[in-house]
Amino acid sequence: MAEEFNTESMLDMFLYESGQLLEKLEGIILEKQDADCFDDSDINEIFRVMHTIKGSSGVLMYENITKVTHKLEDVFYYLRESHPDDVPHMELVEKVLAVSDFVTGELDKLKNGDTPDGDEHQLVEDLDEFLGRLKGEIKKQGIQMPQANKHEEPKQFYITPVAGDDSHFYRISIHYRSDTQMSNIRAYSATYALKEVAEDLLYTPDDILSNEASGDVILAEGFHMLLQTKSSKEEVIALIDSSEAEEINFDELTKGEYGKALAEFGREDAVTIDLGEEDKAEEKDKKKDKPQPGDYVVKTKEAGKGKTLAKNQPKQQSIISVNVEKMDALMDLIGELVIAEAVVLQNPDLKVPGLELSNFQKASGQLSKITTELQEVIMSMRMMPLTNVFQKMKRIVFDVSRKLDKDIELEVIGENTEVDKNIIEHITDPLMHLVRNSVDHGIEENAEDRTTLGKPAKGKITLEAKNEGGKVYISVKDDGKGLNKEKLYQKAIDKGLIENKLISEFTDKEIFRFITLPGFSTKEEVTEYSGRGVGMDVVVKNIQSIGGRLDIESVEFEGSEMTLIIPLTLAIINGIVVQVGNSPFVIETASIKEFVRVGEDSLIHEPSGEEYIVLRGECYPFIRLNERYDLADSISNVEEGIVVVLEHEGSQVCVLIDKLLQEQEIVVKPIPPYVKKVKGLSGCTQLGDGSIALILDIAGLLIQDGERR
Amino acid sequence: MAEELKNEEMEELLEEEDSQKGKFMTFQTGKEFFGISISYVNEIIAMQPIAAIPEVDDYIKGLINLRGKIIPVIDVRVRFKMEPSEYTDRTCIIVIDVNSTMIGLIVEKIAEVDTIADDSIVPPPSLGRKEHEHNKYVYGLARTGDAVKLLLDPEKLIRQEEIEAVMEDIRKED
Repeated sequence: MAEEFNTESMLDMFLYESGQLLEKLEGIILEKQDADCFDDSDINEIFRVMHTIKGSSGVLMYENITKVTHKLEDVFYYLRESHPDDVPHMELVEKVLAVSDFVTGELDKLKNGDTPDGDEHQLVEDLDEFLGRLKGEIKKQGIQMPQANKHEEPKQFYITPVAGDDSHFYRISIHYRSDTQMSNIRAYSATYALKEVAEDLLYTPDDILSNEASGDVILAEGFHMLLQTKSSKEEVIALIDSSEAEEINFDELTKGEYGKALAEFGREDAVTIDLGEEDKAEEKDKKKDKPQPGDYVVKTKEAGKGKTLAKNQPKQQSIISVNVEKMDALMDLIGELVIAEAVVLQNPDLKVPGLELSNFQKASGQLSKITTELQEVIMSMRMMPLTNVFQKMKRIVFDVSRKLDKDIELEVIGENTEVDKNIIEHITDPLMHLVRNSVDHGIEENAEDRTTLGKPAKGKITLEAKNEGGKVYISVKDDGKGLNKEKLYQKAIDKGLIENKLISEFTDKEIFRFITLPGFSTKEEVTEYSGRGVGMDVVVKNIQSIGGRLDIESVEFEGSEMTLIIPLTLAIINGIVVQVGNSPFVIETASIKEFVRVGEDSLIHEPSGEEYIVLRGECYPFIRLNERYDLADSISNVEEGIVVVLEHEGSQVCVLIDKLLQEQEIVVKPIPPYVKKVKGLSGCTQLGDGSIALILDIAGLLIQDGERR
Repeated sequence: MAEELKNEEMEELLEEEDSQKGKFMTFQTGKEFFGISISYVNEIIAMQPIAAIPEVDDYIKGLINLRGKIIPVIDVRVRFKMEPSEYTDRTCIIVIDVNSTMIGLIVEKIAEVDTIADDSIVPPPSLGRKEHEHNKYVYGLARTGDAVKLLLDPEKLIRQEEIEAVMEDIRKED
């Protein structure tokens, strides 16, 4: 029993950890896909990821995962140790992604309880061949030993050490007393202290941590550092721990001297700390991306140089994963707490006349404050940034654009927009589909087609998320072909998807919406990625299932924009609590246009019994909730009640209610499945006093209303 | 060692089952007594304010809030086609859990927990009254003392509901 349990939890851990690692891996790869090569920290990171997955998959005896990760680890081990030039970066990126896909696939199998039985041979062979080629190339260049190549790479970094006018250059030599213990560790702590201020730091011997013998070298020859920094001499001296040091030589150098010293260091087996290289990449990125502020590449590089060190370390946000059920339970409990609080604070026992309550009031005010805050916190806990979803999209653009041989850049805006976790799960697939569509159908096949239209040869897809008025807008915009209205119309007619009406009878939006009809696909051939005609209608269905919608804008030859408009959260809506008869109802605030009191004279009665309301010259359908739902003790005189004008996707309806109770953030709960679905109700919720209110579903009301007429 | 442990565990389990076996929560509705196997009963709560749901069968009285959980309640009297009665202080809600579906049953009066031996349960007589509504949920009759108790099968009760709901949907779509 016990053993079984252990394997289970180990497997869970393995899946979770590996999943996280792969995500991180993909992040690194995609961020650097346009760079010329990975820098040292990336190589280390990828190496580490592969090593970890290899280790844990080995323990659990998933041999194919172990083999593949081991191979890739080999490749990166070689890269790390030998720093070969001319690494075919794109190919390397592809290889890493292939491995990442393979492992992800196997992990999925494990998650579904299957055996991971993917065939790794092809991949391993590919990697072998790739590694062989890497090594071979070095040999061709006449450099026999990889080690000999070691300092070639660092030198490259030095072409552009970003030296500002106010940078100072120092040569620092530390000689420790001959009886100093662990002088290499001391030397390391000195370098560590200097990294804080360093723009660039070189030291020799370079293997102070990994090689214990270096301690002896330091004792014999001293420890030498080259430092480029903005800090003054005094500041730097203060940073170095001078205990145990016999002598510290501190020379300020000019830029020229520094260059020479660097060359010397190079010959002396020097190795840089990544700072210089990282900075270089940063500069490059900045230049490249300047025209697009908010671009993700720029964002991650915003940290100042002083923070470079921290940045090099993997971004460890302190996050724990919590079972969603537990979160829901916590949310329920907090809801209960709020109710219990109301029961205590409004207890009838307190209403005894002449009771001195001022202290009680103070204390209860404090209590209310805390519970409100608690509620806010739990609600915010359910919110997650879209970062991960967007990262997946980057991957898709990368894959598909390369497969289709299209040159496309992806701009990502607002990836930190937060939405409810449930919603994230629901939008990933639709969004993926839209992005694929944009790459496949949106952007032109040939760059010439673009340039003749005066567009840049490189296609551009913009993925943007923003939060507006309680809704999240996620748009996928391309600057490609755009939609051709005549073609869409003709196709829809040919396939018999629409009524036989003239094209002029449809609005642009209606025509664009044809692509969301089941069985509609505008592309003649089916490609690997899209075009089976099962796509867009599924997208729309998925989005509708979470209460969102899809908006399509397009200008032919200029591009299209697909926007998903989804509620911020499924679980919490901002609602107005109203009363009809004895029952409270909740109406989502966003769908309320206005509250009006109307006179009997603005009612129009049809002979069939239908009623309309005329407001400012416009005629709206009118629903009396009390009659619709057979509610007793309610107001039926329009002049005594309140008319609420509701809007949903452009159509409006007026509803008669008795009175308004309050505005409240409400937690949406489904109506138990035992009760069959009632049209016009989308769920229920608990009010502050513990009673239950039903949530009106405007869309349902409208449909129901339409059916009756 | 392990074997012994297992046996012990088994015995414990059996014992637990035993303690519930043959025990029935009985309640009175009108003149008749009903019984539900106690293993289905979660708890018994006092009458609560009920939020009515429009457009549902009249025996579904609405929803109650059971410590944050929203569960539907049905009036047993109305369910069995009896005249509804006023709710009084004695009126209770028996919360039952049938395959993770929680439902509250409004009953007039809780009687007691009875132990009914298997052999004193007889199937309801079927005198060609198959169309008779409430027979579907009554799987047995038990005689204890001088009263006859109708034993309810909650699983059937719930499944029946679901079937009815589906049927209704189909009818509507037609």
